[in-house]
Amino acid sequence: MTETETPAASAASAPDVLAFVRDQLAARLNLPVDQIEPGSDLIGLGLQSIDAVMMCGEVEDHFKVELDPSTIFEHETVGSFVDEVVRRLNG
Amino acid sequence: MATFYLGLSTSGHDPALALVDGAGKLVFAEASERFLQDKRAWGIAPDHVPHLERALAAVGFDAGRDRLRVASSWPLVKGDLPVQVSNAMLPASDGLWLRSLQAQAQANAGASLLRLGLASEMPEVLRFDHHLCHAAAACYQSPLQDADCLVVDGEGEVGAVSLFDLRGRVLKRRWRSWGPGSLGTFYAWLTMLCGFDWRLGEEWKVMGLAAYGRVLPDLQAALQTMLVVDRGRLRFADAATVASVRAAAERHARPPEAPLMQAADLAATGQAAYGHYLDLILQSCRAEDVPALVLTGGCALNSSYNGTVAGRMGYDQVFVPSAPADDGNAVGAAVLAFLRDTGADAIPDSDGSPYLGSSAAPRTLAKLQQGLGGLKATDVTGQAAEAVAARLEDGQILGVMRGRAEFGPRALGNRSILADPRPAEMKDRINRLVKGREPYRPFAPVVLADAVGDWFDRPQPSPYMSFTLPWQSRHRDRVPAVVHEDGTGRLQTVDRATAPWMTDLVQAFDRKTGTGVVLNTSFNIMGKPIVHSVEDALAMLVTSGLDAVLIEDLLIEK
Repeated sequence: MTETETPAASAASAPDVLAFVRDQLAARLNLPVDQIEPGSDLIGLGLQSIDAVMMCGEVEDHFKVELDPSTIFEHETVGSFVDEVVRRLNG
Repeated sequence: MATFYLGLSTSGHDPALALVDGAGKLVFAEASERFLQDKRAWGIAPDHVPHLERALAAVGFDAGRDRLRVASSWPLVKGDLPVQVSNAMLPASDGLWLRSLQAQAQANAGASLLRLGLASEMPEVLRFDHHLCHAAAACYQSPLQDADCLVVDGEGEVGAVSLFDLRGRVLKRRWRSWGPGSLGTFYAWLTMLCGFDWRLGEEWKVMGLAAYGRVLPDLQAALQTMLVVDRGRLRFADAATVASVRAAAERHARPPEAPLMQAADLAATGQAAYGHYLDLILQSCRAEDVPALVLTGGCALNSSYNGTVAGRMGYDQVFVPSAPADDGNAVGAAVLAFLRDTGADAIPDSDGSPYLGSSAAPRTLAKLQQGLGGLKATDVTGQAAEAVAARLEDGQILGVMRGRAEFGPRALGNRSILADPRPAEMKDRINRLVKGREPYRPFAPVVLADAVGDWFDRPQPSPYMSFTLPWQSRHRDRVPAVVHEDGTGRLQTVDRATAPWMTDLVQAFDRKTGTGVVLNTSFNIMGKPIVHSVEDALAMLVTSGLDAVLIEDLLIEK
């Protein structure tokens, strides 16, 4: 299945994933949620690799989606990572 | 044309190869350490050319006719991830070393096909999730249709715990742990603190020593804060907690040269904490009305804990495969390759046999008939069990090499040293004359599967010596050489369907002595792998205090 075949599902879950990831990052980085934007750079925010890994576990559990160990490291921004999770949710 | 699936354990430690045929039947599995006679075979290619060549010949692979597909037990190179190696418990240098070996094994997997003329360029390698390989190997060997399958080890793809559902022989992951928290690492750290070395595979020594110690409540409470179990997922506690517990535990550490018993309380306490953690994980596994558990991964070698699970954690039945550690992943990779290539979903049924390795070379065996340099050879065809039972009753210690070698760390009667368990001094004799092990370590008993309830409390099948159970107290004085300090035994149960010769032997020994228990320890000397070739077996006969070896039906005596 591709994204174009399931636009409704993508549209429905993208804000949920974004909200969850922002909460996760805020808690792990000790930052206010409103400082974490889709365009925020993950490394620029100060995200350590261990926290990135632990957050992937939370995303996998919460959304019942399978991520690869390398997934988060292939994305520079919060929004790009969220898009990838959504793509996998619908894939 | 037939297709064979070559599964390779590509962790860089404990390499092994396995072959599954086109019908989904596991036809060969063997650890590289056996072939090379080099313990754990660190850094050796799992498709080491001469080993693979022999394995292919053993299964009748025809290079001109058949196809070989290669599979590895990891999808990627761990070192390619920008994740720092954890130094929470073990030195980061150990972790970096392991990553380097894993990278090499992953990069070179299948290269031997070039040397053997089976490929003209690097073959495509099917690569599978590490914990899925553990689960597939375990479930393949198990007779179960439905079970919860828990993998616990040192390090997986993203964490060190994964839970799978096996339903109608189809495996599906329910959840997995992410991050560096690891019970395998915890036990490796405990092994070092006790003055042993996990790199030499000495976790056994901690488990054996635990029987001599007392659990120290304060230390246990501290150790149980090092890891956090969150809905079954495992992670290290915060750095300050880990550091403070390490400091507390190090006050109990035994330097390697200090007396062994100095570490007994630490071993007992660490084993108790380990059990506590696994209990917490298992409490998060039981979700549906499935009363069977498949437990695998390197931590499933902890037979002391394994023996406590059935009937206590919501599972009536516990299955642990013969090779739960990374060597077993060769089987998982081969089975998964078969599934992917054929489009099948369900793991094929198997007979559960652990006898999957090499046989004694017939040509070498034939040569022995022509002369043995002063050793006496007798053909005991049809009466081998009687002949061995008679010699055991006389107090002799015998090596046995019959049929195909066991896959996994335990000798299960095909590459075993056997003795009479009744004399209390037999343990010391075997150690002094043959094995050279520390005197405190226990030897294992073999009993008939249908008699296990006559000898042990919490009776259950243990065909691969995966479970340590308490002896019934009335029997402990009858077989002291196989009763551990805490009144337990890590037993092997045998029946005619899976281990006919050992069944004959136990019955013959019972007829002679009235005791249906035989002592079984692996056919090796300390620090060496279990014997592989006829020459290995004969070398042990002439260089140790063994009285005789039985190779197939040829009894060779000094």
